[in-house]
Amino acid sequence: MLKRNRDGFRFRIGVDTGGTFVDAVEIDEKTRRFRIAKSPTTPSDPAVGFMNVIEKLGTPLDQTSVILHGTTLGVNAIIQEKGANTGIITNEGFNDIFEIGRGNVPDKNMYDFNYYKPPRLIKRRNVVGIPARISVTGGVLEGLDEDALKDAAKFLVEEQKVNSIAVSFLHSYKNPEHERRVAARLSKLYPDVSTSISSQIANEYREYERTSTTVIDAYIKPIVSRYLEKVQRILVEKGFRGIYLIMRSDGGTLSAASTAELPVSTIQSGPAGGVVGSIYLSKLCNRKKLISLDIGGTSLDVCVIEDSTANIVHQTYVSDYPLLLTMYDVRSIGAGGGSIASVKNGLLQVGPESAGADPGPMCYGRGGARPTVTDALVILGYIDPAIFLSGEMPLKPELSRKGIEEQVCRLLDVDLTDAAAGIARVTVTNSMGALRQITVEEGRDPAEFSLLAFGGAGPPFAAILAWELGIPEVIVPNVPAAFSALGMLMSNVTFEVSQTHITTFEQLSEEKLKELLAPLETKVESVLRDQSTSYKDIQIERSLELRYSGQEHSLELVVKEGSTIRDIRRNFDELHLKRYGHMMKYDVELVNLRAKGVGELEKPMLPILPKRERGGKAASASKTRAYCLTTNRMTDFLNYSRMDLLQGDTVQGPAIIDEGVTRTIIHTGQALRVDEFGNLVISSGTNQI
Amino acid sequence: MTEANLVEGIGITAEIIRSHLDSAAEEMRRALIKTAFNPVVYDVHDFGISIYNNALDLISAAPGIPSFLGANDYAIQKAVSYVGAENLEAGDILMMNYPYWNSAHTYDATLFAPIFDPKTTELWAYEVIRCHWLDLGAKNVGSVMDSTEMHQEGIVLPGTKVYKKGQPNTDVLEILKFNSRMPEAIFGDLNAQVSAIRTGERRLHQILQKFGKPMMRSAIDYILAAGEKASLEALEKLPHGSWKATDYLDDDGFTDDLIPMNVAVTVSSNEFKVDFTGSANAVKGPVNLPFGATQSICKIAFKGLTTPNASPNAGHYRPLKVEAPEGSLFHAVYPAPTFLLRAGTVALELIYKALAEGFKGLISASSGGDNPGFSMIGRRRDNGKLYWISNNEPVGWGAFATHDGGNGVQHHTVAVGRNTPIEVMELRTGMFIEQMQLTADSGGAGKYRGGLGVQRGIRFVEEGMFTCMIKKSKTRPWGIDGGGSPEANRMYIYAGKDDGKKVGTYRFQAQVGDRCILFTSGGGGYGNPRERDPELVLSDVLDGYVSPGAARSIYAVAVVDGKIEYQETKKLRA
Repeated sequence: MLKRNRDGFRFRIGVDTGGTFVDAVEIDEKTRRFRIAKSPTTPSDPAVGFMNVIEKLGTPLDQTSVILHGTTLGVNAIIQEKGANTGIITNEGFNDIFEIGRGNVPDKNMYDFNYYKPPRLIKRRNVVGIPARISVTGGVLEGLDEDALKDAAKFLVEEQKVNSIAVSFLHSYKNPEHERRVAARLSKLYPDVSTSISSQIANEYREYERTSTTVIDAYIKPIVSRYLEKVQRILVEKGFRGIYLIMRSDGGTLSAASTAELPVSTIQSGPAGGVVGSIYLSKLCNRKKLISLDIGGTSLDVCVIEDSTANIVHQTYVSDYPLLLTMYDVRSIGAGGGSIASVKNGLLQVGPESAGADPGPMCYGRGGARPTVTDALVILGYIDPAIFLSGEMPLKPELSRKGIEEQVCRLLDVDLTDAAAGIARVTVTNSMGALRQITVEEGRDPAEFSLLAFGGAGPPFAAILAWELGIPEVIVPNVPAAFSALGMLMSNVTFEVSQTHITTFEQLSEEKLKELLAPLETKVESVLRDQSTSYKDIQIERSLELRYSGQEHSLELVVKEGSTIRDIRRNFDELHLKRYGHMMKYDVELVNLRAKGVGELEKPMLPILPKRERGGKAASASKTRAYCLTTNRMTDFLNYSRMDLLQGDTVQGPAIIDEGVTRTIIHTGQALRVDEFGNLVISSGTNQI
Repeated sequence: MTEANLVEGIGITAEIIRSHLDSAAEEMRRALIKTAFNPVVYDVHDFGISIYNNALDLISAAPGIPSFLGANDYAIQKAVSYVGAENLEAGDILMMNYPYWNSAHTYDATLFAPIFDPKTTELWAYEVIRCHWLDLGAKNVGSVMDSTEMHQEGIVLPGTKVYKKGQPNTDVLEILKFNSRMPEAIFGDLNAQVSAIRTGERRLHQILQKFGKPMMRSAIDYILAAGEKASLEALEKLPHGSWKATDYLDDDGFTDDLIPMNVAVTVSSNEFKVDFTGSANAVKGPVNLPFGATQSICKIAFKGLTTPNASPNAGHYRPLKVEAPEGSLFHAVYPAPTFLLRAGTVALELIYKALAEGFKGLISASSGGDNPGFSMIGRRRDNGKLYWISNNEPVGWGAFATHDGGNGVQHHTVAVGRNTPIEVMELRTGMFIEQMQLTADSGGAGKYRGGLGVQRGIRFVEEGMFTCMIKKSKTRPWGIDGGGSPEANRMYIYAGKDDGKKVGTYRFQAQVGDRCILFTSGGGGYGNPRERDPELVLSDVLDGYVSPGAARSIYAVAVVDGKIEYQETKKLRA
């Protein structure tokens, strides 16, 4: 058990490496206090950025029980096509499964008959087919040709210089023997080359989706595993003796060693931390319906939380590549503080291009040559150049002004304030698109939700976004700029496995089901036990993906222990009725089995904010001239320091609440109240028709 | 967005209303895909979902098969005029599949529902969802390849209530049930369509309630006007003139004769006219096209050239004019057979072929020219019930003035559809797939290369009825400006006495051990292959897209041991 203060452990740390910044949160379990630090991401050697932020935080590592870490390293490597030189070994005659995919043109290009199909992540010359074939029932139709395998490996490694190999054979979900033998042989022949095998990564049918998941895993494996190992080594050198856990896309964590085996599971690790934190807050503040809104330097991530749980999906896409992966249903667009503003064909555009961490916005003075959203916020008066990042990084507003004047004002013939306000407005409109997608477009009414805003650029934009969308309330949590890192501290260790097994219910019995689930449960439990950590409790959840015989898509149903086939059938009918409005008398078919293990970790306690003494009032130190987006004019905003705010305090807009790393902006007509945990709860008002 | 911003005030609200309508259509689409019983719907996306106002103008559509969307426009007009709007009530769902109104064959079940304002009971919108069903009792199970009149192609409903005031109309459903060989599958799909229609209905009610009738009406007028304006602006920028082209359908299934197809396309600043006069008269076999389907093909071509990225509405299509004489291949009339709808697929690229010369730099070379398909019908291993599983094979896309054509991509007419996974095919049918990969040298050569076609080998491990439906198997895809014309689509059959028989559209009873191989055509090339950057040729050789022999003989680039021989290449290119 991870008892508090055991063995002199007193601190926990969450670290979230994003595209622009590394955020870290420390919680002192003795004082229940948070401390945060922020440091630029260092793309050339991400371990440097990680250690910089740990150093900045200054936490005694020998007294730290756990470090939880999420990173966008993997997903960035894919988006920027900077992953490993990767090869594919597959069945002879099926080399092009990855290249052809399902053959479809993306929906958005439906009428584009000059559609340009972008080159695939893996060149065809790096794909080798070898004789081997498993049948649809799992029998061996053609044995694995060991000589051909050796030649293939030699060609890929020695001639094509690949350092990672994806192995994917047809029907390997039924019988993984060939894939396992290939992996074993490869690791003997070329121990330095990493391998990813499809039956281990996504044990489900549909060869393209499984192959794609495996290829993406292989593509980022050398980079991610090298990074995780390096960080772990340095931490140990610096005296860390606690556990080092990595955040996964489904909100669970696993040890760095286990994660290095399945790096594709980190694809959404940063945003997942924010979602875990949002779920925690949803329970704490009794807001069952929340929309988490995370705006950072490069991207905006949103996720719907209902009944204090986030929606889960089992398939997603990264850069048009499908991934069979359990993850939170987080939608992202390229919009953030670093998004670049430009004028194209007489229209003002913001993003998706981003100035990133390096060179960053023009006002950073690090060589950024194009104006960004942050530059517009400086011009609009929302950011005080002198005290940006608590004064650690003084900004150069004259560079922002120059950039916007030359690259926006001149081309649109507008003044500086209008141009900057335009940039803010376009950012708001783009962000609304992402929020509308997960609410109105899926039948949810924004008026029933609260918007939980975090990330460096979340608090400045949240109140105006809520006003535009008719979301009545915004919550800005503690440490919003590092909230994903904080969320990681609220996570558990989880592991999930799936297995395709297609059979009709007529041929299924309770005993057979138990027999099918048993190996999955054993696997999950052994992985959890293997994480060199201890738990408050271990829970295993079993679920089945079911459909009416003849359908292709299935619904996931959680099954309780001791459920009869008849119970499961009835529950499936009800779920189908609830989801789609009808049920049928047809036979039901089992498609996939899943087991998810949750090893519950001890959670830190959040501090309660003291109340202000009777008669006292939050004091504003000064006023700032800034642009009000509800009235469209420059006006006086009252300045507050978040540190000075106490439980029960209220503030009327227009106002700016500064907390060093970010600022919450409320406009005319909006107001905020501070709750017992120190959250800023904003009544946003509305611009709805 | 840009369109909406043209007019102040209403523009912003109209834009919001439009995105609400689009998301209603999108929601209907999700409900349909998730509950469908038929691979043609859930994988191939062989469906069309559209929303109309009460004047039957298209106001929103969800992505699906492009030709289905346009087909709905014609079908809803014919169906409502036949049934009479005054005979519709809230909760009704009607089915129509009379091919000459339906703009498609009988197996495309077009379901539509009137949407009433709950307060005033005024009819203000229609939803239409068309899906390909698996069996409605035609002369053969699966595809009909040799019908000579409509009555051999399945049971026809002219606009008949399958749901009345929200309740299933059992009498009609019983007729459908007793006229299908696969009643479970068609009722599964019927339920999926009904589920999607009800979803859409709820959302349309919400939208109306939120914005109110007057605002909705003005916004829809505005959206349609903006659509028309966008098309006209695009037309203004296109080259103006009149161009012609000819291509051929392989045959009608009764004789081996090529069937000529002619088109004249006339473009001016206010009209885009497509005229099929001069094409063959309707033929004996089921390759004819109802006029609505012809219009729909023209809509795809027109949209692709003018406003490819905007969600479609009736306004976009106002400048389009389509002509085809009654009784011709492109305007089939009762009782001409239409089951295979063959002419449509080829006609789309025929329009582009006509424009290729005049629209230089705006049009790609021909793709593989077809969505070559095959299907198998047999009995399921687990429960002995009939299955019907099909697949649309990708082809190569044509090269463009600035880039190579895509390798192994679905044809334009089914562009967002997906192929059937091998693992699903082997699980569900008696087919064992021996190989599936790109075919080297199958892309039309050129300065920019056409995309590669694919090859698939099939061995039958269980018996069943196998059908291959391949068009453009006798004429090659065309290149532009000296770009190459690759070999046509084809299938070779190894069954019984057939040892490598070459076929296009073909059906046979497969026995265990029979085999066949399908080759889909690559795309046409663009420009002279001898002007292709030698480094690109080398890259193609290394990736196996082009053989070293073809690199030398066609591209005049000498590649030896994975390297360019520059001296030799210089000589070759001299």
